[in-house]
Amino acid sequence: MKDVVRGPGGPLRVKGLTVADGPRWVARDLDLEVKPGDVHMILGERDSGKTALLRTLAGLARGERGSISLGDAIEASPRERRRAARFITHERGLTHLSLRSRLLLGRPPRRLAMLIHGRRAQERALELAKRVGLEGLLDAPVEALRPLERRLLDLAAALDDSPRALFLDEPTSELGPHEARHLLHVMKSVAREDRIPIVFTSTWARDGYPDVDQITILSRGQDPVTVDAAQVTESALIERWTGGSPRRSPTGPHAPGDSLLRVEDIVLEGRGRETSLAGAAFDVRSGEVLVIVGAPADGLNLLHEVLLGQRAPSRGSIQFLGKEMAATDRRQRVDAGMSFVNPPHARDQSLSHFTVEENLILGQTRRGPFTRRGWLKFESIRGNAVRSLADFEIPEARPRDRFTLLGLGFRQRIVIAREVLRNPVLLVARSPVQGLGLEAQEYVRKALVLQCERGSGLLWLTEDPEEALRVADRLAVLAAGRLVWLPVTETLTREAIIDEMSGHAA
Amino acid sequence: MIPGRVRAGWGPLLGNVAVFLLLAVGSQLLAPGPVSWDPTTWSWSWSEGILVLVTLLFLGLAFVVPLHGGVLNLGLYAEFLAGLTVASVLGSISSIDPPVRALLAVFGGALAGALAGSLLVWLKRTFAVHEVLSGLLLGGALLPLAREMPASALGVGPQSVLAWGIILLILGVFLSGVFAHFLRASAPGLDLRTVGQNPLAAVAAGVNVDAVQLWTLAMGGACAGLVGAVGLTTQASTVLYWPVPLAFAGITITVFGLGSVRGLFLSSILFAVWLHEPGTAAVLSDPGLSTLIAALLVIPVLWTLPRLHPDQGAPRAVWRTRHRETY
Repeated sequence: MKDVVRGPGGPLRVKGLTVADGPRWVARDLDLEVKPGDVHMILGERDSGKTALLRTLAGLARGERGSISLGDAIEASPRERRRAARFITHERGLTHLSLRSRLLLGRPPRRLAMLIHGRRAQERALELAKRVGLEGLLDAPVEALRPLERRLLDLAAALDDSPRALFLDEPTSELGPHEARHLLHVMKSVAREDRIPIVFTSTWARDGYPDVDQITILSRGQDPVTVDAAQVTESALIERWTGGSPRRSPTGPHAPGDSLLRVEDIVLEGRGRETSLAGAAFDVRSGEVLVIVGAPADGLNLLHEVLLGQRAPSRGSIQFLGKEMAATDRRQRVDAGMSFVNPPHARDQSLSHFTVEENLILGQTRRGPFTRRGWLKFESIRGNAVRSLADFEIPEARPRDRFTLLGLGFRQRIVIAREVLRNPVLLVARSPVQGLGLEAQEYVRKALVLQCERGSGLLWLTEDPEEALRVADRLAVLAAGRLVWLPVTETLTREAIIDEMSGHAA
Repeated sequence: MIPGRVRAGWGPLLGNVAVFLLLAVGSQLLAPGPVSWDPTTWSWSWSEGILVLVTLLFLGLAFVVPLHGGVLNLGLYAEFLAGLTVASVLGSISSIDPPVRALLAVFGGALAGALAGSLLVWLKRTFAVHEVLSGLLLGGALLPLAREMPASALGVGPQSVLAWGIILLILGVFLSGVFAHFLRASAPGLDLRTVGQNPLAAVAAGVNVDAVQLWTLAMGGACAGLVGAVGLTTQASTVLYWPVPLAFAGITITVFGLGSVRGLFLSSILFAVWLHEPGTAAVLSDPGLSTLIAALLVIPVLWTLPRLHPDQGAPRAVWRTRHRETY
């Protein structure tokens, strides 16, 4: 079998690079060198300009000034970099293809210049799939793959062109920590075998360990700093990035009250190779924080959809305040007293081109203080916005500002203000601090936990064990579609949770 | 929505003004033969001018109302033909007095247009056929039927045309005003804008996206159907002025008006005036110049549509039906 052609290799050198993302600077006079075989991480919260920097490095956008060289070239133009390197982002199309067809999409081996050489094409697809460990899934449709498998497929497909560098935009964003580790390990192997530099972006400091060589930290308003991963511990990295270290929940363990939500033996089949829910059961009581941690494809997405009312379980019951809710939709659940907070970047919880005051009344115009006989009460809406912005400490925003002009952390505060001010009986939060800066994370956590202390129940779904440890009164790991309960003690560690998530627990 | 702001920005507004000035001045300069500015020599009449304005205004409304809900009403021509056909049938019932018959034809035409619009939403909901495709197909299917209808049967005399025009203009202005106020100040108007801006968020906020799209397209269809009936009532002469196919008139008026109801009203007036300038008819009768004018009318789409906000018909809201992902 013929080997896949390896790239020629060569370092990625950046000198004095200045990059802007819209009206703000992302990097000024950035110097960087990524050696062949090295994996380099660009770390920053969402909206910090990571993608703009990565696109500039890959030649997809022009920097304001500075030089970038790739391999032996003294200075590679954006066009040369585009040709020599591959930029991998989350590809949403092409889902109807089989994995084999997707791998051969770019350059299938040809015969007589026009015809696809069937045997060689099969061999090449197998060879590429083997490099990332997907050889057993060649005939599976792309849409059936788990997020980790899709990222590996993107990686393998890019290798078909023998690139001289790889740039990956947030490859770990939809993965659990154990899946992210696996992906980064494969990326490191590819970098070493092909002698190429690989650069990727991430919002997780944990992605820097153990396979990353260097980390460039992007922090809003400050020049980027590059550190050697081997020289800095993870906690030191976080402190350097955010200027502080994360704390546990503001007030510690709570005394739970009555049961609010009782979920019993939920069964729901996953899509494609997604893990099905196989009898998950739990209850949430007032005044407590129940955290369920798991990888999105291990049932966490399914559980979230069931709780949102987007999918009905094929078996099991969901009782809220003693009433069966399994067949109800989201609106009915909200009317019954549930409230939902999704990740800050979720598209379904805010309207980017509406004003702040309009976003603060979203879903509350059927009844209540903001309408009278179907007409909006502008004074009440304005008053609500002024109060909410003051209570949730968002002095930069005004009621009539467009929502999209605010930073991600402030946008999430506004969403939480809207949900908390309804005074819900139960709050269901799905990764509500994902991608936020440390200060915004702590604020969001504090606001949600305070609502819990006022008597609401708080069900927190997350893929991040660190986040789970910071807020949990009780904690369950969703693995293989079932819940494994772990006692929340001082000795419970992130690694123990990751082991449960990956099925490696003793 | 922030009243008083040009949401699409000043660039597209200035671009549209420039194109309109080019159109207005160019059609006088390029008109073949001498152009007389003596009003007494014009074949222009108030009744005709008002009916052209009414036609443009309702065609614009037929497009802009669904657009605010993220629906592209390219079935406008089908709705127009449905209105024309039903109005023709009702108008041919000679046992009814002419004034009652005309009134009946207008209401029947509007109702037929509304039903045609509703049919597009039903097809989308039931068979997942995009409203653009079903709208175009329905237009093609109704065209042979409309051609068989009697050209003029309502019997509205020339002396009544001005009165008809004024009544319909008042109706059009009233509907525009009510719709603008409804969008800005009512809870269902906020729901409509939410659907146009982000159907996913609308579903999450408890808005029935299908119902909203159904009534917006039904309302748009009623406006287009009413134009069909009005065209028949007034001997269809007003329709012949427009240089591009009639369904595109609604799009042009909307685009020149930057997707807002106020802009739509203003551009309807400007285009009605332009159509009655002394040189315009001469320019439009020349095939080459008419093609040039049609191109000028289409060009503003290039800079306007990408800058509109999603609830005014920006491409992502128009081309995607993302809310289906949650079903």
